[in-house]
Amino acid sequence: MNKPDYISRYGIRNSLSTRLSLWVVLFATAIFVASLGYLFWVSRNAVKREAIRGATRELDNTVLRVNGILEDVELAANNLEWLIYKDLDNPDKMMEYSRSVVLNNSFLNGCSISFEPYYYKSKGKYYSCYSNNNGHQVFTRQEGNDQYQYFYLDWYLLPKLLGQPCWTEPYTDQEEDDDGIMDSRMMVSYCKPLIGNDGSYVGALTLDISLEWLSETISAVKPYPNSYSILIGRGGTYLVHPDPEMLFYQSIFTPELVEPNPELRSLGDAMQDWQEGMRELNIDGQRCFVYFKPMMTTGWSVAIVCPAHDVFGGFRRLQNTVILIVILGLFLMFVLFSNIIRQQLLPLQTLAAQAKVIAGGDLKHTLPQSKRHDEIGVLNNSFSEMQSSLVTYIHELTTATAKRERIEGELQIARNIQMDMVPRTFPPYPDRKDIDIYASITPAKEVGGDLYDFFLTGNKLHFCIGDVSGKGVPASLFMAVACNLFRLLSNQGLPPAEVARQINDRMSENNEQLMFVTMFIGQLDLTTGRLDFCNCGHNPPIILSPKPHFMDCLPNTPIGVCPGWEFKDQVLENFLGTPVLLYTDGLNEAENLVHVEFGNDKLISILSEHKFVNAQELIETLQKAVAAHVGQAEPSDDLTMLCINTVKL
Amino acid sequence: MFTPQWTAQSQFAGYYVAQELGYYREEGLNVQIAHPNATQGSDERIKSNTSQITTLQLAQAMQLIDQGTSLVNLLQTSMNNGLLIVSRRNMNPMEQKGAKVALWRAGFTQLVECAAKEADLQFEWVRAANMMNLFVAGAVDASVAMSYNEYYQILQAGIKITESNIYRFADHDCNIQEDGLYVTREYYNKHKEEADKFARASRRGWEYAAAHPDEALDIVMKYVRRNNIATNRIIQGKMLEEILRLQLDPDSGEREFRIRPDMLEKANDLMLRNGEISRAITMEDLSR
Repeated sequence: MNKPDYISRYGIRNSLSTRLSLWVVLFATAIFVASLGYLFWVSRNAVKREAIRGATRELDNTVLRVNGILEDVELAANNLEWLIYKDLDNPDKMMEYSRSVVLNNSFLNGCSISFEPYYYKSKGKYYSCYSNNNGHQVFTRQEGNDQYQYFYLDWYLLPKLLGQPCWTEPYTDQEEDDDGIMDSRMMVSYCKPLIGNDGSYVGALTLDISLEWLSETISAVKPYPNSYSILIGRGGTYLVHPDPEMLFYQSIFTPELVEPNPELRSLGDAMQDWQEGMRELNIDGQRCFVYFKPMMTTGWSVAIVCPAHDVFGGFRRLQNTVILIVILGLFLMFVLFSNIIRQQLLPLQTLAAQAKVIAGGDLKHTLPQSKRHDEIGVLNNSFSEMQSSLVTYIHELTTATAKRERIEGELQIARNIQMDMVPRTFPPYPDRKDIDIYASITPAKEVGGDLYDFFLTGNKLHFCIGDVSGKGVPASLFMAVACNLFRLLSNQGLPPAEVARQINDRMSENNEQLMFVTMFIGQLDLTTGRLDFCNCGHNPPIILSPKPHFMDCLPNTPIGVCPGWEFKDQVLENFLGTPVLLYTDGLNEAENLVHVEFGNDKLISILSEHKFVNAQELIETLQKAVAAHVGQAEPSDDLTMLCINTVKL
Repeated sequence: MFTPQWTAQSQFAGYYVAQELGYYREEGLNVQIAHPNATQGSDERIKSNTSQITTLQLAQAMQLIDQGTSLVNLLQTSMNNGLLIVSRRNMNPMEQKGAKVALWRAGFTQLVECAAKEADLQFEWVRAANMMNLFVAGAVDASVAMSYNEYYQILQAGIKITESNIYRFADHDCNIQEDGLYVTREYYNKHKEEADKFARASRRGWEYAAAHPDEALDIVMKYVRRNNIATNRIIQGKMLEEILRLQLDPDSGEREFRIRPDMLEKANDLMLRNGEISRAITMEDLSR
């Protein structure tokens, strides 16, 4: 799947600095989100608690102020009531009392002392003494008549039916002012029942006050810019509300007529039940906190409506500012970190570029040393040192290779010389049908320590096979000496034991390296078939007929070890027609990968199963068998084989 | 001068529509609509000839005729009864013997009084200009109410009521028609043509209001504001809806604009039994 474009575009995958910066910024973001989230949550609750405290305080003060005025009205009514009862038999006094109470209490707009129909026979059906203060003067009159049948009105019926003082619901009162213009005012009345001596209802004493002051007092409560206050009456009607469409025309329950509104219903019920508290609800689509408190004497309830965005306005602004600062901070942090890390990693880029140059083959390209002591400085200097060491090493390697190539060349020449020291032309005596000889020599290294030789003097065949201790150049030089001495001494017609003794004496001299050579030296008289031989610590040859077996040899000792050693000859008669195999331990001790030797048993077994044809065929067969056994393993020793078969003519 | 029997509200939507859409003017009439005040009802206005045309409930008209004010029914708008008694206590109001029950000072109470008498409930009637304030303040045990008016005011006041504390007269073999348009027979004899034109234009107004209730409500609110009535569009919308429902004949489901003889007979029976009238009022007494 292809990676999104932005990854490659902004180098997130390829830029360590961007990736590191992103990780740091992400981690910082997580910390900020967690800590700021908690801080905001705690702060919000604190703001809310403070808002409730503030609003409750405001409400308490307002209710206290309003109650103070309402209590003044109640006190005035109580004082007047005493006078009415004192002069209940004197209806005309009622006019006087009605007027005086309005004159003496400037906060009163009116006072009515009204009586049941025909209570005073002299006054007829209607007798309601009403005084009214229009702001300039006080008018007093009897206001009941056929058009104004006061005993059907709230302020008269409520105290009558309830049998106790009460406040009416607010109502509109239309008064004619001084210029004869009808003025509409919202009024509320405090009513007390008047009870006669016989306990019967006599009438009602009513004191009126304007609601304007109440509206002004409550509307002035405005703890937040968009908050407002409301006052609802017993029936939920808005008595104070900033929206004139709502004022007196709607109740808090009106929206419920259209669709259920449980939040508003709950608030209305609580306010109507004269509870005090706070509700959180949606009003006109915005979340608001409503703090409410009852006015106990009236049954009204006042509330402050505070839009949540106002309550949390300052908090929100602070929150948004903090969030903005944090976002900007994180962005700047990202940019700054990216640059700092990029600056810090600049040597790495240089290093990478220079490493690329070196990788391109310019090994002599030098890296500048860094003056920094931090990890990057250490890396740069280590790389520089590595590069320097590499250059030195390559130089040394080049020198060593050249030297080795020279040595290898010389060794190759030495090998050729060594190989030329042994007869390698087969058949060596093509005109002699009675001699079948074949030999092979395979050094484990460039030059080896194995040797063989044969030559004819008259009708005598001299032959030998040997194995110098160790391998390589020292062994080859020792072999060369042994080889020359064999040919030199055998040529003098000396018997094999004497040849061995003299070679031993010569080679033991100045043999500080304590090298030695095992040898089998033989002289075969081709006329008589007598074989004289001396085995100097070498593997006994294998006589191949009638069945393969090891030649019975004296052990003697290897040449070069014991100067003055007396070697003993052995003789086998009638040896003609008997094929014999001479070999070095490179044959029977050849190891495979798991270091298992080829072994004498296997050698004898192969030879037993093999039908002898001629010397060459036999040696080639054994070479194949050894190669199959050794497999991939490195040759452990030089391998030399010499097979001689003579025929009596 | 036309006086509906109550203050400006959706109960009279058809007449406001006829006036505002010029149906009266098209008939060549110059109509003024004047509402009664809280202490003087429409019956008193027509008796005193303050107004020439008024709306009255059927029982109210029958009582006036029985008392000697000869009236002519120009147009019967209501085909059902919307009268209720709602209890403040959580019980059937007709089981509250001796309860204080508020009712209108301005009339429309004949059926209630008959029913209470027949059930021997011995209610203590409290006549008031504004029953709802008494009801809300808990000064009365129950109140008479109209299903299109006071019922919604009670709901608006946040008072929780259930069907178990409402007594609907229409559901208790008392479905007697209510509002109709009346003139005195004396006036009718003199101004027959104008009266007929007024009835025709008024019917057009009601039919238009039924077909376009939102527009009718706009017109009602105009009158509400002009008369400074403490109400709102929501409650007037509910009232218009209920008024239009009450205008559908219970059998045909149509707006028939006629007095049903069976309902007249039922009203006569009830009112005669309870002494509200002294003689049966016939269709001839009411018809043009």
